[in-house]
Amino acid sequence: MTTTSPPSFSTRPDVAQIGAIAWVRKHLFSGWFNSLVTVVLGSLLIRSIVGFIGWATTTAQWKVIPENLPLYFVGQFPPDQYWRIWALLWMISALSGLTWGNLSQNVPHLFSRTVLIWVGILAVIFVLAPTPLPYRLLLLATLGLVLGGAWAGRYLSQSLPSFGLGLAIAWGLSFFIMLWLMAGGFGLKPVSTTAWGGLLLTLFMSVVSIVLCFPLGVALALGRQSTLPVVRLLSTVYIEVVRGVPLIALLFIGAVMLPFFLPGNVRLDLVLRAIFGLTLFSAAYLAENVRGGLQSIPRGQAEASSALGLNTPLTLGLIVLPQALKVAIPSIVGQFISLVQDTTLVSIIGLSDLMRISRAVLANPLYIGRYAEVYLFIGVIFWVLCYAMSWGSRQLEARLKTTN
Amino acid sequence: MTQIQTDASRNGQVGSEPMIIAENVEKWYDNNFHVLRGVSLTVQKGEVVVVMGPSGSGKSTFIRTFNALESYQKGRILIDGIHLSTDLKNIDTIRREVGMVFQQFNLFPHLTVQQNVMLAPIWVRRWTKARAEEKALQLLERVGILEQAKKFPGQLSGGQQQRVAIARALAMEPRIMLFDEPTSALDPEMVREVLDVMRTLASSGMTMVCVTHEVGFAREVADRVVLMADGLLIEEATPEEFFNNPKEERSQKFLSQIL
Ligand SMILES: Nc1ncnc2c1ncn2[C@@H]1O[C@H](COP(=O)(O)OP(=O)(O)O)[C@@H](O)[C@H]1O
Ligand SMILES: [Mg+2]
Repeated sequence: MTTTSPPSFSTRPDVAQIGAIAWVRKHLFSGWFNSLVTVVLGSLLIRSIVGFIGWATTTAQWKVIPENLPLYFVGQFPPDQYWRIWALLWMISALSGLTWGNLSQNVPHLFSRTVLIWVGILAVIFVLAPTPLPYRLLLLATLGLVLGGAWAGRYLSQSLPSFGLGLAIAWGLSFFIMLWLMAGGFGLKPVSTTAWGGLLLTLFMSVVSIVLCFPLGVALALGRQSTLPVVRLLSTVYIEVVRGVPLIALLFIGAVMLPFFLPGNVRLDLVLRAIFGLTLFSAAYLAENVRGGLQSIPRGQAEASSALGLNTPLTLGLIVLPQALKVAIPSIVGQFISLVQDTTLVSIIGLSDLMRISRAVLANPLYIGRYAEVYLFIGVIFWVLCYAMSWGSRQLEARLKTTN
Repeated sequence: MTQIQTDASRNGQVGSEPMIIAENVEKWYDNNFHVLRGVSLTVQKGEVVVVMGPSGSGKSTFIRTFNALESYQKGRILIDGIHLSTDLKNIDTIRREVGMVFQQFNLFPHLTVQQNVMLAPIWVRRWTKARAEEKALQLLERVGILEQAKKFPGQLSGGQQQRVAIARALAMEPRIMLFDEPTSALDPEMVREVLDVMRTLASSGMTMVCVTHEVGFAREVADRVVLMADGLLIEEATPEEFFNNPKEERSQKFLSQIL
């Protein structure tokens, strides 16, 4: 047989068509231009990584981190009251776990492979964390609480029909317990808000502003769509004015000018004023995100609802808003992520958030010049926070998906 | 009721109790486009009226005035004796009595099939959950979708979705059903399953107004066929007369296009 069979009859593909080599060829070295880009960018990347590892292992002096760990996390919160922060952390962890379980009640695997990998990574970090052993154990316990909560939440939502409602109420209550644990009173030693600081303050301001700006943003979005001209005008003016003003200006207005508008004997806490500014600012942006969601819902939805006899509030609350908010989850969470990052601006009006704590640490003669280490550390903290939010939002979207 | 039943397939009775009275209804869109130019129609209890006519002639607009999805500026509409004006209380009452099925189904995609059907009885009629569920399952069985009750609308075929939409409207126990081209968005093989449900509904004595171009359905089920064109009601006749022997030139022209 000397005739060659047509190539399409061959049963084995060329080695070059499969596996990693093929992938590299196809994606990185297709054509001379791509190859050039790959080589240039690749060598830059490798140089930076090598440089960074070199710096991190030789020049960098990391002791500035573990020696000030409490400061980064809770600021001047009295050390003998740290248990309150742990209690707070556990309450939130347990509730988050339960909620996760509740949202995952119809998902085949509660702990997917990715989740397990992340849990493993976290556990390793907690075990190796440069803190005294008791703290490491407490951190591990927190992780356990989330996982156990998830398992219990899934089990409970499958057996108790009203579990979701109970969970929502628990979240509502947890807010007041959080305030109580942080501020004291009612049997606990009072802690002034000036002692709040670091990550604790950053998170507190973020959470409260998110909780407050959400309903305000939804109301503004609905107001902007309203058929009542006055409501529409007021909402539009508010949204456009606030979006035209930098956050820093609003924070100064909250910190400096708000007292002038209030009766002389009322003194608002500085933390409260910062939250005031953050909330008003984010609500305007949030309103636009929600409006985008509202506009994406076909008119037929509201018509079908009206035709069934549901009045306007019911139509909004049961049909239009749930769908609009679902559509807007990515942009809403994007706004929340910006909000978390924007809290760093409150250091300018004198609050001891993570950013200002870092500057205080750097002002200590012991740690002169350790900028890179400190800012890298808080950078990582912010990244973890924000990445967790965006991961959570994607999980939520997947859980709420109702089409094939 | 003394009327003799002429159509053996219908056990409902077409009485002389008007459920819908529309008198010289006129409507303008945006104050300049005269979409309804004086349309009158009376529908008796248990009657099935099919509305036909070229696209853009105002059929949808007309039947949507019956449950106040569209307002009208002149004329008068009485639904089951209740005057349909801008009075919100009347509108609420009428919407409970009038069910509507849309061309695009308009099911609520974030709710399961069963929740779609239970929603209005629970929130509008204030039924208990148990009662609404019983009704929903009964209706879903009647339209042949019981097995899909826990699915979401997005997981169903078009024909199934439209049958759910019919069940959803029926859950409110309406006295009148409006259909706006219920089969126009469906693939041909799914048209029948929806028409079958509508047929059964008609034979149960429901008062129905259907905008549809399904000639077979109109011939078999309709008591009357009306033709609309350019915001006017051109012809009103029994199906036999309308399809075999249309009087108006517009009707003849329209029929020559669809037959
Ligand atoms: N919301 C609206 N605003 C302005 N014009 C409209 C609106 N809805 C429908 N129309 C116009 O009114 C006419 C009748 O529409 P429609 O009742 O939907 O007709 P049909 O259902 O017979 O096809 C069409 O010309 C259409 O373009
Ligand atoms: Mg139409």
